[in-house]
Amino acid sequence: MKQNPILICGLLLQVFSLTAQNTTTVSGSLKDAQNGETLIGATVEAIGLQKGNVSNEYGFYSLSVPINNDSITLRFSYVGYTPIYKKVLPTGPVKLNITLSSAGSVLNEVEVRANGYREKVRSTEMSVMTLTTKEAKALPALFGEVDIIKILQLKPGIASGSEGTTGLFVRGGNSDQNLIVLDEAVVYNANHLFGFFSTFNSDAVKDVKVYKGGFPAQYGGRLSSVIDVRMKEGNNQKFSGSGGLGLISSRLTLEGPIQKGKSSFVVSGRRTYADIITRAINKANEGKADYNPIPDYYFYDLNTKINFTLGPKDRLFLSGYFGRDVFTFKNETFNFLFDWGNTTGTARWNHVFGPKLFANTTFTFSDYRYRIQNILQGFSFKLGSNVKDANTKVDFFYQPSNAHSIRFGANVTYHDFVVGRLKAGSNDGRVNFEAGQNFNGMEYGLYFADEWAISNALKVNYGGRISAWSNNPAFYANFEPRISANYTFNNNFSFKASYARMNQYVHLLASSGLSLPTDIWYPSTKGIKPEKSDQVAIGTTYLIGNKVLITWEAWYKWLQNSVDFVDGAEIFGSKNIEGELTIGRGYAYSPLELEIEKKDGRLTGWIGYTLSWVRRGRYPDINNGAYFPTRFDTRHNISVVALYSISKRLQLTATWIYTSGYTSWLPSGRMSFQDMQGAPLNLVVPVYGPRNTFRVPPYIRADLGVVWKFRTRHLENDLTLSVYNASNRRNPYFIYLDVATQKGDPVDFVTGIKAKQVSLFPVLPSLTWNFKF
Amino acid sequence: MKNLLFLGLVLFLFACNLTKDVQIKLPDYSQQPVVECYLEPGKPFRLLLSRSYSFFDPFGLDSSFIQKTVIQGATITISYDGKTIQVPNILSIEANPVKLFNYTATEIVPATVGTEYILNITLPDGGGNITGRTQMVKPVPIDSIVVQWSPDIDSLARALTYITDDTKTTDYYRRLLNYSTLDSFPQQDFLAPDRISTTALVAFGTGYELKEGDTIFNTIYHIEKPYYDYLESVQLSIAANFNPFAQPSTIKSNVTGSANPLGIFTTLVYDRDTTIIKK
Repeated sequence: MKQNPILICGLLLQVFSLTAQNTTTVSGSLKDAQNGETLIGATVEAIGLQKGNVSNEYGFYSLSVPINNDSITLRFSYVGYTPIYKKVLPTGPVKLNITLSSAGSVLNEVEVRANGYREKVRSTEMSVMTLTTKEAKALPALFGEVDIIKILQLKPGIASGSEGTTGLFVRGGNSDQNLIVLDEAVVYNANHLFGFFSTFNSDAVKDVKVYKGGFPAQYGGRLSSVIDVRMKEGNNQKFSGSGGLGLISSRLTLEGPIQKGKSSFVVSGRRTYADIITRAINKANEGKADYNPIPDYYFYDLNTKINFTLGPKDRLFLSGYFGRDVFTFKNETFNFLFDWGNTTGTARWNHVFGPKLFANTTFTFSDYRYRIQNILQGFSFKLGSNVKDANTKVDFFYQPSNAHSIRFGANVTYHDFVVGRLKAGSNDGRVNFEAGQNFNGMEYGLYFADEWAISNALKVNYGGRISAWSNNPAFYANFEPRISANYTFNNNFSFKASYARMNQYVHLLASSGLSLPTDIWYPSTKGIKPEKSDQVAIGTTYLIGNKVLITWEAWYKWLQNSVDFVDGAEIFGSKNIEGELTIGRGYAYSPLELEIEKKDGRLTGWIGYTLSWVRRGRYPDINNGAYFPTRFDTRHNISVVALYSISKRLQLTATWIYTSGYTSWLPSGRMSFQDMQGAPLNLVVPVYGPRNTFRVPPYIRADLGVVWKFRTRHLENDLTLSVYNASNRRNPYFIYLDVATQKGDPVDFVTGIKAKQVSLFPVLPSLTWNFKF
Repeated sequence: MKNLLFLGLVLFLFACNLTKDVQIKLPDYSQQPVVECYLEPGKPFRLLLSRSYSFFDPFGLDSSFIQKTVIQGATITISYDGKTIQVPNILSIEANPVKLFNYTATEIVPATVGTEYILNITLPDGGGNITGRTQMVKPVPIDSIVVQWSPDIDSLARALTYITDDTKTTDYYRRLLNYSTLDSFPQQDFLAPDRISTTALVAFGTGYELKEGDTIFNTIYHIEKPYYDYLESVQLSIAANFNPFAQPSTIKSNVTGSANPLGIFTTLVYDRDTTIIKK
């Protein structure tokens, strides 16, 4: 018998409504009093009734209380804000919009926001973390360029790509297995400058929430993590601005009310300026015979957002992002342009149907493209790839009682892929080369989840997602069960467990293991089945003295239909990319993923430790099907992050990282290749054996920072001194095998062969000036 | 693109002097025989049979190392058109640049297109056997070489080399461009499959870097797919050792057998043109 899911949802709503006849609801929104930003995860409690709830990601809250002719007191609180108390008379539904004021202490500027610690202990959410831009801004950064994505690399369970890059390898997953969304629009390549910086301008970002496991049912489409980046909404109280001058780039953000208290805008831009200097150097050396011009390179971002309160029940948000990296080079042989970047757009409508039902309808657009071209007299070469999405989704939040928080919804996404489109030849058409493929696909999702407080001690979040993919003639449909549970032993200690299955219908074809703009997104087809993961996790959360939270988790992840390249694969100019791919499996596990976190007092920060193993295998064309460690199979990962406030104006920060050496695929043998007549002899051709059998030395780095805050007549300022790699340790970036030769007769002779380690960054101090008005 | 990125990285690292020697232990490796046999019409049947080494095995500083590297005493035959010829263990050297062959027959490779050749090697001391198979392909002639002078700098020119490709078949080419002398280091050495060409005409160019009086040697090899795969895997292996953005490759040999060999057994046909740049 076919069952209509909408009918089932309707029936469930009725059932839950029946269970809540003797209660009424207090509902509304929670916002920052100073700028009107919604407060996510703020707490509302009915004093004396032992009832409470938290605001959702749109700042909406709903609390069921018993119908009573006596007034009750509600406490609204949020970390870093002054709590407020409100009396209400619960004789019927009460609508109450609340604004909270920041506690105003500079000491509180740096904090891990997320839920309060107690809420973390009680929550069924596990394997999740939230970071604010405030925190990222305080920590030392490479070239002083604040990057919230890089802060995530300091968290347990998340391995960084390589030195200085923004790659995220979450719990043994690949970098393409992260669903990175900016205001709910997918960001396909979250990197600038080949991954050294992320696309997220810290001034435009409000916060980032990361799920490493226990994925809520509303998320799907990637195997290993969800990285949910939220842009600021804009100050709806007064016009303000902020910005900064750094070693690499400058930033400026303007925000303010369109109609005070009801609508606001924010516009934020960032641009690097190395090209201005290199152009000046090139101009000064113009005409010199032995001078080779320096290529031009820059990147820029533009974020905008406006939001309107259309009425007491409706809010509308429009946001967009546009960013590009541009690399150009021109001489006698090249007239070269290489640019790449993302465009995203989001239109979101929040509607409150009633005190228990809230809906969010979203339209998003995403576009990632790169273009390489070289145009010379009479000839041209153009290569590019592009992935575009148009997505519609609707999410409902229904709270029939304090015991149940229900979410359900659906989404449909249209994907359009241009894969490795190449056109080259003469302008007269006599010589012509063409390659590339076009695909499109539809992705569907339908989900339901209920967070059920079975008792004061036991909470379960159960649900599932039906996902589907069609790319004619391929069609796949999958059920993805999701469940997480929390047993709270007391206010300070809880045990959690979760299971989640995920499916991924689009795959990043990355040939180097490092994130490059030319990596290609490729859809699931008849031959390339959806990637699948199953993850189980257990853990405990222990709160010591309301100040220190200790989280332990252990997890195991299985991967199916993992996509990799066959040895020597050719991506560009291939008419059959699938012939270059091979399908296998994988697994990863960790018995110990530990975080000790402290956010109150002068000294705040965290210590993270992960012990993990990551393997891939069963690829028919790799290692004869044997399992092998991935490049980022780093056994021990330790991070220590400390922020110490000396005074309201002066803060010291430090990070220390230890990572066991990543694996590397080095040659085990060598052969000589004399080649044919006219071609030179190669005395040493590396002979590669099984993959990733060599482990490079450990990566250890200490960064230091000082933040000095001061006021001038019109501005609040801070000067941030960052010292990256303060101990000037030469960390391995890669290792190569070097061969020294000497001219000989009849052939050259090799005089030495040795391994060389290349490091990327020595000690790098930088100074950044930030301002607000 | 990866090369440009790599170039930038190298410049940066050079400026910072961030390279140092390290002691590492590589995975164990068992030696393999290496075959290089090019059947070039008009030249004798000959091949180089050598052995590979563990990466850190020492090199010799004189010709004794070559003696140690080559495998002597193997029994080698090449069969074609119902004939089988012995390729005896006789050293031959071709000059400019030097190429060594430790097995050389007196018979000359015929130019008959389509002839199939089968290689059989029995290694001494029970070292196993090696077999390979190849076929003579037809040379693709250079149609023309067009010299064009730069519109910006009138003393510089470029050379465009045109060939006509058979659009009905999948063909693979190797283009070598030498300046001044044929034994100079090639200015261009790249592989070109025709699978993405939509026209019969294929062009190979240079930058505006040639001056009046320069001599260039254009060689277009028409090669088999196994040779293309082999060359590409060799190039990838070399590049990946130095370039962290490149993906290594195992060597894609077209010789097989119980000796677990590496190497290539292929025919070699080409067209070559020597051009002196004139206004």
